[in-house]
Amino acid sequence: MTTPGPDDADARLDQLVELVVRLASGDLDARIEASPAGDRVDAIAVGLGMLAEELQVLTEDMELRVAERTRQVADAHRQLERLALYDQLTGLANRTLLSARLDRAVARAERRGGPPAVLVLDLDGFKVVNDSFGHSVGDLLLVEVARRLRSVVRDIDTVARLGGDEFAVVISHATVDQVVDVATRIQQALQRPVQAGAQQCWVGTSIGIRLAEPNLSAETLLRDADTAMYVAKGRGRGGIEFFESTMHATALRRVRLADELRAAITDGQLQMRYQSIVELGSGRIAGVEALVRWQHPVRGLLTPDQFISVAEDTGLVVPLDGWVLETAIAQVAKWRSTVLGGSDFGMHVNISPLELRSPAFADDVLERLGRHRAAPGDLVLEVTETQLLGEDAQTALALEKLRAAGVGVAIDDFGSGYSSIGYMRRQSVDTIKIDRSLITDLDTDPQQLRVAAAILGLVEAFGLTAVAEGVETPAQAARLHALGCRYGQGFLWGRPVRTRTMSDHLRARAHAARAGR
Amino acid sequence: MREDAEREETVTLHLEQGGYVRCDWRRGTRITGELARGAIKRLDELNDGIKRPLLVDMRGTASLTREGRQAFAEEYSASKVALLGESPVDRVIANFTLSVIVMSIPTRYFTSESAALAWLSGDDTRT
Repeated sequence: MTTPGPDDADARLDQLVELVVRLASGDLDARIEASPAGDRVDAIAVGLGMLAEELQVLTEDMELRVAERTRQVADAHRQLERLALYDQLTGLANRTLLSARLDRAVARAERRGGPPAVLVLDLDGFKVVNDSFGHSVGDLLLVEVARRLRSVVRDIDTVARLGGDEFAVVISHATVDQVVDVATRIQQALQRPVQAGAQQCWVGTSIGIRLAEPNLSAETLLRDADTAMYVAKGRGRGGIEFFESTMHATALRRVRLADELRAAITDGQLQMRYQSIVELGSGRIAGVEALVRWQHPVRGLLTPDQFISVAEDTGLVVPLDGWVLETAIAQVAKWRSTVLGGSDFGMHVNISPLELRSPAFADDVLERLGRHRAAPGDLVLEVTETQLLGEDAQTALALEKLRAAGVGVAIDDFGSGYSSIGYMRRQSVDTIKIDRSLITDLDTDPQQLRVAAAILGLVEAFGLTAVAEGVETPAQAARLHALGCRYGQGFLWGRPVRTRTMSDHLRARAHAARAGR
Repeated sequence: MREDAEREETVTLHLEQGGYVRCDWRRGTRITGELARGAIKRLDELNDGIKRPLLVDMRGTASLTREGRQAFAEEYSASKVALLGESPVDRVIANFTLSVIVMSIPTRYFTSESAALAWLSGDDTRT
C-alpha cells in the first residue's frame, strides 16, 4: 500500500474540487476511485460518490413520479373536459361545446362558404314515456334518438343534447335547401318506433331553425331556434319552422300562458260547458260533450284551442285532463241520480292521446268512476283522430281495459286527418264523431253528401255508432238521419252551456218525457 | 471453476469457534448488488436455517453501491451484524449504509475487532 505524498495530496484535492463541480453541474455519474490508502480524501470522494448515487436514484424516482402524475393530471383533465363539454348519457356535445362550435362556425362563415344553421328540436311525447315507463326507459330512448340524429348529419356537423329531451344540431355552411333536407331526414329518422328496453315508444319532433347571421352570438341563435321550435309545435306536432323576428312576442305569450294555466287549474279558473248530443230520430238528448273553458282574469273566457297546445307542451295536460274528467264524472253521477233516471246518456270527455299512452290512465278513470258511483257506461272518452299516433300498444291496452269496463270510446273529428280505419276495424272504439268539415254544405253539395254517406256506410259496416258534429240546420239533420246517422251535435240544438242551464234543460226534457208517456 | 475462484477471492465466509460467522471482503472491492446477494446466499447456505451473529470485515473495501446496501438491508440468516472497518473510507461507507437504509437486522460499526466480537456475543459493555 502506498501513501500519497504532499504533491499527490494537492492533486487529489484538485480532483475532489473537480468532482464537486461536475456533480453540481448535474453530472451525477461523476466519480473518483478511492486510492488504496483509504484516507480522509478517499473517504470524502467515496461519500460524495454515494451521495451522488443516492441523489441519482431519488432524481430518477422523482422523474418517474412526475411523469406518472403528469399523466394522471392529463387523464383528469380529459375526464373533466368530457364532463364539462359532453352529455354523459348520450355522449353528444353539451350546450357549452355546441355554443363554442356555433360561435366558431359563425366566425369562419366568410371563409368557409356560408353561415351555419342551428336546429333545435325536442321530442313530442317524451314526458309521457318517462312518466309511464320510468327514467331508465326514457334514458334508453334518448340514447337511441341521439344515435339516429348523429346518423343523419355530416361528420363536420355537431349534434348536442341541450338537456332533458331537447337536442340541437349545428349544420356548418349549409344552404336553406340543405337545412330543410336535414330537418326532414331528422323527422323521418324519429318517426320510426324506438325499442327502449322492453318498451316500444313513439316520439315525434318539432324543429326550429335559425340561420346564422354575422355578429350574432350562439346564445342568441339558440334562443331564436328554440323560439321557432315552439312555434312549430304550436302549429301542430311534427312541424319545421324557420325563425322570424315576430316569433319572440308569440313565444313570450306562450310562456306567460303556461304559468297562468298552471295557476288557473288550482285556483278554480276552469269552468265546464256542456253541449247536447241529440238522437236524430227522436230529438232526445242522448248525451253531452263536456267542454272546458278557462275564465282568464284578463283575457276573458278562453276556449281549449287557445291553451291546449301549451298544456300539452308543458305537461299541464295531465292535471287539466284530470280536472275535466273529475268534474264531468261527478256531474254525470249527479245527473244520473237527479234527472236522468234510467235513460241512455253519454258524458263525452275529450282526452289527450298522450294520456292514453300512460299505463295508469285506465285505472285512474275507473277509480274516479267508482269514487263518484258513476256507471262506466255513462262515460264516453273522445280522442282526436289526428292525434291517435301509430299502432301504439299502450293505447290499445288502455282502450281495451276501459271498454271492457263499459266505458265508451269515440274517435273525434273523424275525416279531418289521417285515417283511423285501423282502430275501427279492430273495434277499439264504439263511436265515430264525424268532423264538422264533412257536415257543412251537406244539404247543398251533392259531393259532400256522397262522402258523408260513404263514411256512415263504413261506420255501419263496422257496427259502430255515428255522431255528426257541427250540425247547424234542420235540413242537415234530416239528411244525416236519412243516411242512417243516429246522433247529431251542433248549434241546431244549442251552443255549449253552463252546468245549471244544462241541468235545467235535462230536467225539462225529463218532465216532458214523463208527461208525454 | 473460475467464477467460484473469483468469488472466493472477493469474499470469504467461515463459521468461527465462537459460533459466529466471519465474512471477509477483499481489500479494494467495490461491493455491488450482485456481490452482496452472492455473499448473502452463501451465508444462508452456511447457516442452513440457523441465525448466527455475523462479523463483516469490510476493511479496505473501495465502495458499496446503493444496490449492495439494499441487499444488506433485507432479512437474512444473521441475528446481528458487526461491521468492522478501520479507515475513514470504511467509516463513511458503514455509516452511509446504517443511516440511509433501515436495516432489518441489528447492525453496528466497529473499528475494534474485539469490541465487535464482544457486541456480537451479547456483551455490550465494551462497545
